Amino acid sequence: MAVRATHVFRWDLDKTYLRTEFDTLGDLVRSAMETAQDKQAYPGATALLRSLRQSQEHRICIISGSPAQMRQVLAAKLALDGVEYDEFVLKNNLRNLARLRFRALRAQVPYKLPALLESRSGLLGTPPETLFGDDAEADAIIYCLYADILAGLVSMNELGRVLEAARAYEDQAERTLALAERVRRGDAVRRILIHLDRRSPTAGFRQFGPRLVPIFNYFQAALVLFEDRVLSAQQILFVAREMLTSSEHTIPTLANSLQDLLRRGRVSRACADGLTAEIQTAAAGAADDEGHRLAEGVAAAFADRIRQLGGATQEHPAENPRLDYVAMVDREFHHRRAKPRRPLRR
Amino acid sequence: MGGDQAPDEIVKGAAEASLGLKEAELILVGDAARIGRILPQVRHDGGRVRVHHAPSVIAMDEKPSEAIAAKPDSSIAVAAELVATGEGDALVSAGNTGACVLACARRWKLLPGVRRSALAAVYPTELRRGEKNDPFSLILDVGATIEAGADDLVAFALMGAAYAKIVSKNARPRVALLSNGTEAGKGPKAVVEAHALLLEATDINFIGNVEGLDIPRGVADVIVCSGYVGNVVVKMLEGVAETVVGLARYAYKEKLLWRAALMMLSSGIQRLKEVTDWEQYGGAPLLGFENLFIKAHGRSGARALSNAIRVADKALRSDLCGAIASGLESFQTRTGTRAVSPA
Repeated sequence: MAVRATHVFRWDLDKTYLRTEFDTLGDLVRSAMETAQDKQAYPGATALLRSLRQSQEHRICIISGSPAQMRQVLAAKLALDGVEYDEFVLKNNLRNLARLRFRALRAQVPYKLPALLESRSGLLGTPPETLFGDDAEADAIIYCLYADILAGLVSMNELGRVLEAARAYEDQAERTLALAERVRRGDAVRRILIHLDRRSPTAGFRQFGPRLVPIFNYFQAALVLFEDRVLSAQQILFVAREMLTSSEHTIPTLANSLQDLLRRGRVSRACADGLTAEIQTAAAGAADDEGHRLAEGVAAAFADRIRQLGGATQEHPAENPRLDYVAMVDREFHHRRAKPRRPLRR
Repeated sequence: MGGDQAPDEIVKGAAEASLGLKEAELILVGDAARIGRILPQVRHDGGRVRVHHAPSVIAMDEKPSEAIAAKPDSSIAVAAELVATGEGDALVSAGNTGACVLACARRWKLLPGVRRSALAAVYPTELRRGEKNDPFSLILDVGATIEAGADDLVAFALMGAAYAKIVSKNARPRVALLSNGTEAGKGPKAVVEAHALLLEATDINFIGNVEGLDIPRGVADVIVCSGYVGNVVVKMLEGVAETVVGLARYAYKEKLLWRAALMMLSSGIQRLKEVTDWEQYGGAPLLGFENLFIKAHGRSGARALSNAIRVADKALRSDLCGAIASGLESFQTRTGTRAVSPA
């Protein structure tokens, strides 16, 4: 049965929501052995997901490349964090192993793209989507490809060539093409947020256009979603409060995160000024001293950073460019194969 | 944002440092638009870096006093002001040395007991020192104060010793006065008096006087002199190094046999280059103020700048200025002198 949603948020798990290391075999084993309590979410990710969930009509879908055998522990982790979701898709790598499909074990495009399309097929209408991924795998390419398929910008012929470049098995390619053909068209993907787990240079993502925003932390994700009118100033403060409980963040680092988005032209000056004013208002009406101090501190730091920038922001192309997915996917495939493995760490 | 390779290499160095220093916040002071174009090209942590716009910059060849007066909105002036107001904790620059020293001197307070600041330089030596097997000795002052009295030289010695202890992890650095003979009575009056004071009224490991030829040997870990002498010494040492390289180049071109000999030595020369690579040290401090300034070499690339930032971070974490202040206080207690006002 088709489901109704006013906005769909799709999340990856490893390196996007969860702090996971899987660069070496040792990392993989360690990650597989971790309990729900051991697993750590990135600061602010939980608060952001919970803020997004505050609207009943918002749909949270998790699509991860983690093996299906980890469902129990991952679901337990999400429950521990108080994160509710509507869909939770994991990769059945045991089946891939049983069928001797070794290429499929690490392949991203032939797994994630049909999973996204299948999930989309189950929705009523053409609700907007916001996608969360990371810079460790091919999330940026897959999400843009998915967005362009929905927008009707990728022909079936081109998609066939993309799947070929991704070295998809025949049945995977057939299934993906069938799903793409029947999915309802519409320019639905409003925003793609890529968590820079590897701190990749942000300039490398400019090719994907203004729809995709690389983020250093989840406060930046919240700020972008404020600009997109998905989150309120109060929800920004909710995310800030969670981030400040971690040792990694302070009010200055949050304010720097805003300045970084301003510099990159990913948040407008008007939006930053508006948010600062709203947070100042929130400070005046805060229910407790702690809330008042937080809002006041954040507003003051924001105003400082905006002023210190002296009006210097970068222009960003207004249009999403046409991307050569075949070449991108092919490059990604070769890059993944060539990636040197780090030695096992003790 | 000064330096021969600014702003590109400076921004890249800061970006690199932002990834390694998990608790530090880096404020890049300079042309915000230019910095904003460089940062996205390199790996960094956007939450740990902020940009503070300063519209002008003092060039390496500008006359410091005139430039500082004419450009109150230069990156070095703005950065020094940010530290003075507590917005920043330390300043790192690869820019015009004179302008840097002037900018700090005009805005920062001297530590109690310090009449004049001292700019240090590092020099590779034969002998190594400290926990890190550091090949660099510290020479101060190399130009911040042209004339120094005995009290100033003692203060420089205490400051240099504290710095070597913290940054080079040298538990008991050997401190010496630079003079024209090793005997206690050799040298100008200020040096002779400082010699006596250092022996009698300080706890530092004072080894007496050293001569110029002892500097490259590494006999002392901290070499103290007036700014006039120090500046002449470091420039002469740089000149000698350049001449040696020039001679080697000449030999390489001149005779096949000499070229072959140099090639046979190449791995050794390379090793020597690695050992004495100043980029690994990053920079040297301006000491005597309540705030910290690390002067990176004018030719600094990203690596040197990143290391200079690490040095500043380390010095801040170890409360270098506090350690210097307590050393000076204990000296004053012993000699019965009171805190002197700046000259």
